[in-house]
Formats: sequence, C-alpha cells, structure tokens
Amino acid sequence: MAGRQTNRLRGHGLVDQGTTVSFRFDGQQLTGHPGDTLASALLANGIRLVGRSFKYHRPRGILTAGSEEPNALVELRQGARREPNTRATTIELYDGLEAASQNRWPSLKADLLSLNQLAAPLLGAGFYYKTFMWPAAFWEKLYEPMIRRAAGLGYPSKQADPDSYEKTNAFCDVLVIGAGPAGLSAALAAAKAGARVILCDEDFALGGRLLSERGDVDGESGAPGRRPRRPNSSPPDCRILRRTTVFGAYDGGVYAAVERVSDHLPVPPEHAPRQRLWRIVAKQAIVCAGAFERPIVFGDNDRPGVMLAGAVRTYVNRFGVAPGQNAVIFADNDAALRTATDLADAGLTVQAIVDPRPQGSAAAEQVAAGTGALYLRGVIEKVRGAHGVRVVGVRDNQGGTRTIKCDLLAISGGWNPALNLTTHLGGKPRWDDSRACLVPGDLPAGMRVAGAAVGEVSTEACLASGEAAGAGAARDCGFSPSAPSRPAPDRQIAPATPVWQVETGRGKAFVDSQNDVAVSDVKLAAREGFRVPDHVKRYTTLGMATDQGKTSNLNGAAILAEATGRYLGAVGSTTFRPPYTPVSIGALAGHHRGTDFRPTRLTPSHRWAEEQGAVFVEVGMWMRALMFPRPEESAQETVNREVANTRAHVGVCDVSTLGKIDVQGTDAAAFLDKVYINGFSKLAVGKARYGLMLREDGFAMDDGTTARLAEDHFYMTTTTANAVRVSQHLEFCQEVLWPELDVQTVSATEQWAQYAVAGPNARAVIAALLDSGQDISNDAFPYMACGTFKICGGVPARLFRLSFSGELAYEIGVPARYGDGLIRAIMDAGAAHGIAPYGTEALGVMRIEKGHAAGPELNGQTTAHDLGLGRMMSKKKDFVGRFLGEREALNEPARAALVGLKPLDPKVRVSAGAHLVPKGADAVAANDQGYVTSQAYSPELKSFVALAMLSNGPARHGEVLKVCDPLRGSETLAEVCSPHFVDPDGERLRV
Amino acid sequence: MSSLKSMSALHGIVSPGRYGKQDGEPGVVASERRDIGLATIAARKGHEADLTAAVKAAYGAVLPSGPGSAVGPGVRFIGIGPGQWFAVSETLANEALADDLAERLKGLASVADHSSGRAIIRLEGPEVRAVLAKGLALDLDPRVFGDGAAATSTIGHMGALLWRDGEAYDIALFRSVGGSFWGWLRSAAAAFGLEVVTTS
Amino acid sequence: MRITCPYCGERALDEFTYRGDATVKRPDSLDENTAEAWVDYVYLRDNPAGPHKELWHHGAGCHAWLEVTRDTVTHEILDVAFARKGC
Repeated sequence: MAGRQTNRLRGHGLVDQGTTVSFRFDGQQLTGHPGDTLASALLANGIRLVGRSFKYHRPRGILTAGSEEPNALVELRQGARREPNTRATTIELYDGLEAASQNRWPSLKADLLSLNQLAAPLLGAGFYYKTFMWPAAFWEKLYEPMIRRAAGLGYPSKQADPDSYEKTNAFCDVLVIGAGPAGLSAALAAAKAGARVILCDEDFALGGRLLSERGDVDGESGAPGRRPRRPNSSPPDCRILRRTTVFGAYDGGVYAAVERVSDHLPVPPEHAPRQRLWRIVAKQAIVCAGAFERPIVFGDNDRPGVMLAGAVRTYVNRFGVAPGQNAVIFADNDAALRTATDLADAGLTVQAIVDPRPQGSAAAEQVAAGTGALYLRGVIEKVRGAHGVRVVGVRDNQGGTRTIKCDLLAISGGWNPALNLTTHLGGKPRWDDSRACLVPGDLPAGMRVAGAAVGEVSTEACLASGEAAGAGAARDCGFSPSAPSRPAPDRQIAPATPVWQVETGRGKAFVDSQNDVAVSDVKLAAREGFRVPDHVKRYTTLGMATDQGKTSNLNGAAILAEATGRYLGAVGSTTFRPPYTPVSIGALAGHHRGTDFRPTRLTPSHRWAEEQGAVFVEVGMWMRALMFPRPEESAQETVNREVANTRAHVGVCDVSTLGKIDVQGTDAAAFLDKVYINGFSKLAVGKARYGLMLREDGFAMDDGTTARLAEDHFYMTTTTANAVRVSQHLEFCQEVLWPELDVQTVSATEQWAQYAVAGPNARAVIAALLDSGQDISNDAFPYMACGTFKICGGVPARLFRLSFSGELAYEIGVPARYGDGLIRAIMDAGAAHGIAPYGTEALGVMRIEKGHAAGPELNGQTTAHDLGLGRMMSKKKDFVGRFLGEREALNEPARAALVGLKPLDPKVRVSAGAHLVPKGADAVAANDQGYVTSQAYSPELKSFVALAMLSNGPARHGEVLKVCDPLRGSETLAEVCSPHFVDPDGERLRV
Repeated sequence: MSSLKSMSALHGIVSPGRYGKQDGEPGVVASERRDIGLATIAARKGHEADLTAAVKAAYGAVLPSGPGSAVGPGVRFIGIGPGQWFAVSETLANEALADDLAERLKGLASVADHSSGRAIIRLEGPEVRAVLAKGLALDLDPRVFGDGAAATSTIGHMGALLWRDGEAYDIALFRSVGGSFWGWLRSAAAAFGLEVVTTS
Repeated sequence: MRITCPYCGERALDEFTYRGDATVKRPDSLDENTAEAWVDYVYLRDNPAGPHKELWHHGAGCHAWLEVTRDTVTHEILDVAFARKGC
C-alpha cells in the first residue's frame, strides 16, 4: 500500500527515520525521510513504476541509485521552476517536493501511446531516416511534429527561470573528483602533504560506495549507520564541495563543475543561487569517480523491478529501503553475492541466485546456501509483469526451464570504471581483458586516476590507490608527502567472465533503455555496415540523451563486436565528451542574463540624456542617444526637427563614445604615416586631419580625425564600433611591424567627455563657455583647428573645429568628471541661440546628406577608391594596405564606388540593402550593378536620399536606375547623383 | 572656481548603505576612491633606465619590472605592461598627477591622464576574495597575491586593473562600466552582505 | 586552455585573441617587385600539424602581442615570448 512507506526497513540505513518529510508524485501525497533520494522514497512507498520509455512508452522503473540512471526521469517542481528529465535517483528529497512522471498520456499506468510498441517493427534503428523519406515536404510539416509529440521526454517550463545562478573561479594544487574511498584517501594524503586541495562529489553525502556497502574500514564497523571518515578533522587546506559534479576536463588543468546549491530545497534561500558553476584550475587532478555496474541484456530486461545489484545494496544499506520483498539475483560475478547477503540480513527473501557463468562459482553456491536461496546455473530468459516484475523465467544450463515468483530481479554484469573525464581531452580507454572492462588509457598531463575508476575492486585497494595518487599529486606540486600508510593493493584478481547478453529470450532485450535501443537494433546496424561504436551511436541513438549510455555503451560495443565477429578490445567505445551529466544553461550563463547579459557602457552625461527623454540605441557596448522625442512626435518628425534645428540654429550631440587614442613619442607622426593612407608628419601643431586606415589587403578598416596637440603628441579618434579593433591594430603595428619607432599609444576614450556643437550658431555657444581672453574667431581658430582652452572657470577643455554634419561645428572635450556639467552648461549657453540636442539618427541623416562614409560604407568590402578617397593614398610613403591597395583590380572604374541616389518620387523611401539594376532590366543577379548602403529622409531636400556603391558610379551621375528590394518586395526608380547632397562645396564649414 | 560640477564615476549609481544579507557583519565593504590622480606613463624608446632613475629621484619609488606596485611618498606606481605603469595619487588629485608626471618626466615617458576615465573601487572584508572569485579568474590566495601585487584582467567581463593595498583590494574600472560593475558586485556580494561606505 | 603571458603570468584563454602565423614577414611596400611576397604574406598560410608559432594579443591583460608556440595537435603551449623583440 503506497503512502505508508511499506518498504521502509526500520532501523536500517543512513536516512533520518525520526523525521518525516512529505512529497507528491503524480499528485499522490507520500512521505520519506531526510537523506532519501526521490527514488529511495518512491521505493519505500512501494512505487516501482515511475515513467514511460522514450519511443515505445514501455513502463519503466528504477535501474540504478546514481547519476547514471537511464529510466527514472521525472519532471521536478511546478510552474516556472519545472525541470524535465531530472533523475529520481539523484534528487535529494525535501519537504514539499513535487514530481511528475513523463512521457505518458493520460496517466502513467494507462498510457495510450504505449500502442507504439505494436509498431515496434517499424521503429527500428534509423527508422526516421528510412520511413519518413517521402514526400520531402511532409517531413517538416507532418512527420517531425508527429514524432516529436509521440516520443521525447519531459517538458520544460516556458516561463522565465525565477532563480539566480552564479559562476566562480577556484585554484588549487590538487583537485580530487569523487569522495568515495579512493577520493577521501587521496584528498587526505594530498592535504596532509600541504597541498591546497579541492574535493568534489556529486552526491549530497561523502563516502561513495562506503555509504552503500557493509564491511570494515580500518577496523571500524561497517554496519549501516556508520559515517564516512572525512579527510582529517581539520585538514590543512581542503575545500569540500558536496552536490558538485565535475563535468568537464579542459586543456591546461581547467575543470568545470556545477554545484547544486539549492536544488535540495523547495526554493533557494534569499541571496543564494540555485546552482553555481565552478571553473577550477588545478595543477594536478585525481579522478576517483568510481565505477558503473553494468546490466546483463536479456528479454524484457526493462521491467520495473529489474535493478542493478549494487543499487539494491544502496537502497537497503544506505536508504533503509527494500526495493522488493522477494528477490532473484542474476549476476556473472561474485561481488554481486553481497546483494544476497545484505537482503537476507535485512530480513528479505532471496529466492534464487542465477549464475550464467559456464564454470559456476563455489562462493555463489555457498552464499545461496547461507541465504536460503536456490543456486541455479543458467540464465534469465523472460520477465513477466507489465508494471513490475512478478515472475522470471530461468533456463538452466541443462536446457530445463522454470519460473520463479519474485518482485525484484537484481542483476550484475560486472563494473565499468567511470573514466569519462579521462577521455575529454582525447584520451582513448584501453580494454583490460582480465577485468573485462575499459580502463583509462593515456592521461592528460597532471591527471591521475584512482580507485574503482582505474579498475580497483576492493575497498582496501581503493583506499591504497587513492593514498598513492594523493601523495603523488602532492609531490608533483612540490610538496613532500609522508610515506604511504597502506600497503600497495594486491592487483591479482580472478579474471572476470563477462556475460553480455542472453540469446534465448523472446521479449525485447534492451541495451539502452533510455533510448529504447534493443539488441536487434544494434544487430541491424551491424548488418547495414556500421562497425564503429560512434557511428552505431548516431544511427541507433544508443548512448545518447541524458545518461550518455553510462550503463549501456559497453554492452552495445560487446554486441556489436559479436555481430561483426571481432574482438571487443578492438572495437573500442564511443567518445565521451563534456558534460559528464546534464548541466543547465542557467548555470553556464550565471549572472550574465537579461540586462546583465553583457556589460553596458554609459557616457558621462547619460543621466542628462535620460532626463531629456532620450531613446537609446546600443552601439558596441555603448548606450547612445538615438533621438530626443518630444510628446506627440513621430520618430520621423523628431529626426526631421533635430536635423532642421541643427542646420538652422545649433544642435549638440554626445560623441563621447568615439574611440580616442592618445599617441605620443618622437616618432608619433612617422607612425601615423604608417597606419593612415594619407600623411600626418606635415600636419601643423594645432591642426586636425581626416584619416583613412586600410587593412593590409587594401580594404578600408576605419576612419576618423587625428589632431596634433604637440610635436610629439597626437589625439586620434576612431569610430565607436571599431575602437577596440583599432587599438589592437595600432599595438600590432607598434610591437610587431615597426618596433624601432618611438611611439606610445593608450586609449583615452574614457577620460574625455566630448560633445559636437553644430550649426550656424555654434560659435556663439562655444564662445559663451570660454573663460575670458580666448579667441575662437574664424581667423584665430579656423576649420580643422584644435587647441586647449579653459572653460567655465578654469576647466581644461580640448576644442576641435571638426564637422560631421556639414555645418559650422566644434567638438569640445573635458575630463569625463565634468561631462554632465558641460552638457548642462552647453544647453544653458545655447538656450538663447535655439539649441536642441540631437541623437545618432539625426547625426546619420546629416552625414548622409553630406556624403560622408560611415559603418555601412566601411563594410569590409570597400577600398579607398570605392569610397571616393583614392586620391588620399600617398604614393611616396609606406603604409598599411599600400601595396595590395594599389592592385589594378581594386582601382578599376568598374568597381562599385560611392554615389548618391535620389528617388524620382521624393516621397519614396529607398531601402538600404536594395540592389541597383539598369532601368528596364530584370532584378536578377546577372544585372546587378551595385547596392544601397544608407538611406534617410533629407529635410533640406525634402526628399528621401541614399548612398550607394555603384559600378563605375562617379561617371554615371544623372543616370536613372531601378532600385530593387526583392526581400521587402519593392522596386523604385532613382537618379544617380553626387553623394554630397547638401553644401557640396563645404562653404558652411568655413564661415 | 569652476561652474561645472565634478562628478565621480559612481556618482548617482551607488549610494552608501547595506545591500544583500542584512544581518551580521558585512562580508564585503566597498568604497569609491574619489578625486585621486590617475595616469599612465609609458617609457620612451631607449629611455627606460633614465625613466626609472627619474621616477626614483622625483617620487622615491623604483618602477617595478612586472605587475606589482612601488609606493613612494604620495604616489603608487603599478606595472600594467612592458614599459608601462599606472600611477595613483591622493596628494596629486585629479589632473594634477598627470601634469606633475608630464613635467618631471618630460622626454623620458609619455604621460596620459586617466583621473576621470576610471572608477576606483576599494573592496575589503572577510569575504572579499570569495566575491571577486565570482568574476575574476585570478588566484588571490595571499600566498600567491600578496600586498602590493597587481594584475590587469577582467571582472565579470569588464576590464579591470586590480591591486592589493594591505588587506584591501583596489579596482580600477573604465568609468563607463561603473553601473554594470555595481550590478555585478551587488549580486556577487549579496549572500555575504555588502556595506557601501564613502571615503575621501 | 591557459597561456602564460611573459608579463602577466598564467591566464585563461579568454583573455587572449588569436591572430595567426607569427613566422610571416611583411614585405617592403615600396618595392614594386614584391607582389608574390605580398600575396604570401596576406593570404597564404601553412597549416602545420604540430608546433606552430602564432601571434596572440593579450587584450584583457597587458595588451602585449605575444609569439606563442603551440602544438596544433595537442593544444600544448610550448613557449610564449613577447612579439616585440628585446622587451
């Protein structure tokens, strides 16, 4: 009777039976104890059926007691916190836990889609490659959605995750992965030697198999209820991380781990994350990840109640739970005999020990006698009981058959070392014939493996190998560990005689129960020519999904070896890659989600812009004011107003985000000659000049103005988006190309708050800010002048007479701490002159009206010639991009070069990205002559205008072309013209 | 006296007070070091030795050859790259430090003012290393990163220069990321309790 | 992966950016007879399996350009030096 913990073994195990916690499974109210997993609590309540399988919807139970579980996947929690495909065997029970079974409809016990089983002949390996091939259009619309609905696992919540995650870094001498006997012993040895140690275990309790087995350790009783010995009472420097899975090994001793900080609680405590991702840099690492018991494959081996023998011991000894009352044990090794002893000692019935080994086992016979069980030499060939084992059929080695009533079938085909982490960097496991398992092969630098992960079997051997590894790792870090306290383990073991599968059964024999891959699928793949385990994996899905075949890969390889008549050791295994167990995306993102996805850069006057109601746009990491809308204004009206006001009166724009680079040194001018296509050595102090940089292949990289503040001091500006790239390029030029030059560069972007003040009234506004006695008349401070001034009572300011808008304009820079003050002062000073702020949208309109190239034109495909700047390229000096930039093909007229476009109908917008074809020609690639790069509405021309790159463009002014935008479905006619729409002679700049 | 208001990098972004866990001693105490002089100096080619001598004579500090600090009366010099140092001064406030360096090291080094371009945040307290570890991939174990040690790296994907001054860690960040850094710090320190105080 | 910067010490890979082959030499752009050398310099790269000298930039650290000798098969970093000689 469920709900009353009928299968709890009173007085057994490590759970706190004095405290009861409540939880719900599929709506049913149940109880368990602190220290339980969801799996152990379900078993305690007599629940064996916990899910339906992926493809055939077969009833499934609990196979294991650990993270390798293929079957017992549930949806944990509800609402926004619902998490699918969590393993009941690793979920730590807490009061109020809610879980639901998956992949069943309408209910777990009556699942209509289990009819899929009847179609099993159609659903073999690669079925979707074969069955749903025709017609092609059906795949996306019909087949795939249908399969996805029928198959699959749980469903994630579609709401935003309400919890937080974080990442952290750690450094240590020795990282110990796994806190079983080997790991505890390794951590103790390394820490005692003085090493900084981190010890991680995925479990919430330390001890590994020590928690599950009975037996003495160092003379201490191994009765259930003992606590594992921790590595010393106060180890010198050992950080212990429980609930922490080291899931990946990376180059250079880097390991990734995820700590489930709050997964064992209903909701994370205040200020605590749900999970924490650790990046651990370890000089040495010791993998003590233990081993996975492997099943034997036989017909209907997936019935609930079929459980690994070691897991049975875990449930009895650690959790005080009887996974069944009447057990049959089917194992090919003597280690599994402990299951019979432990069950019997717990007062449970062992009906039979079924031994498939040809030679039998005296020890098994003895244990059978001692536990009152039958000792049968033979195999299990069938299992009855749709929702749980009721009867097993045994065929003995004389050919006789018999049935045995039981509710638990404990199976063991031996153990596979958990060597996953040893292969993440490309290591290949090695087949060990005597142990009949794969053992770690060549290890990455700084990695050791100890205990069951290297094939050790006994607790003593695990303790000894852990101690040796811990001492060795400490020694490699420069410490002097004391001599080992334990004798080296006796590595002589009786050769294993593995039994991979039972051939005689009739029911479906599953190799990988998570993916419903049966023996027949592997054999089919072999018949169809698949010989490599990694290929068989892709074809059959064996070893895919949440468990990555931890209990199935080797069985699959063995069946493949047999089917292809090869030695198993030569067949190998699939490649293990990170992560070892599933990792949530939230943990990988940590703090960096939502608005914290990446850092945001704000200019010194950002708050002022917010106060003005600015709309912002992200440029690089910067937030720039796009426009300053007024109430009731449309976006177009705002931009038109900002442009018109600037051209008629005066406007101010925050240009602090432009990259600014301080260039100093006796060779600073010579250096600029190298990086720009035009010369700077003849630039006078107090003057600025526009410059274009190329890449070495001759294509434009970036542009900007550079001012000469002193003979050996320049101040360079770059575009906002390319600032970092240009900095890096300059450093490359300094350090690698021309290390002989005396030049030093440093970014000054953050130091200067800089504002463009543009428009006919700009001089009056700037003059109002200057401290007395300073002259910026056109004579004293002409176009392209620069200088240092004092403003607003002694604040040092850099003034540049530069114009991107085409108007009389200045850029004024002050140390950033005065930025907010300066913009307010500019607005105050400009109030009498009709000042209004303008954003990047208006800035963009004005530069298009002036035909200045910007990001859309400097698109990586354009040369100086294409941009109409070919004449700037110096013939006399060396500079980056000179040689290849002079290639004939990059300078021929037929190349697409910068032009203006005016639509014949001024009210028709020309789309950026549209292509240009001759009037009357079809919009096909063969007729393509160029493309539109930028477009805007020009308030001055009262027309939409555009910039475009057009083949032989400068010679075609006046020609009418068709502007085609098949993507948005528009075609319009436009006239080619000069890109300088406004004030083509630049008279306004110089007044 | 200037009519323009001077604002520190974190002005309006961070207010003094207790953040995150409210009870017990705060795990981390944060403060902004304001109005201090910050400048970079880069040796002119072939003048490295002259520069070292001039700095020794003018500021009483021997420029470190690697990422560490040299402290003279009033100025700390921190190595930030080959032939490059970051100078920090409370006595030569704001732009005054760069002006002073440029004057005294003329011809030997290129000096650039950064007094407005960086936010300097001082972090102290028992959990400061645990908090920094959440964004900084550097081993801050005192056996490895002792008093005066310095490093240029990233914290929460933001470029940062970090140096240790006694038990405190000073962090120089780009001014523009002050808000993002504060968001990161508040989140990273919440579990330990964060006290923001203002100094200088 | 970790790279030991000769100035900053051992740092995580994400502090660095990769540029490419460090063995190529920029030809003289004023010599008109260097067309083939320029094509080699800008476009052609060997792709050796094994040790390879590469340029990396320590953009999140000291900003130095580094010459890193890396085994392209194993990712092992065999040597790191400043790209600027005599540094």
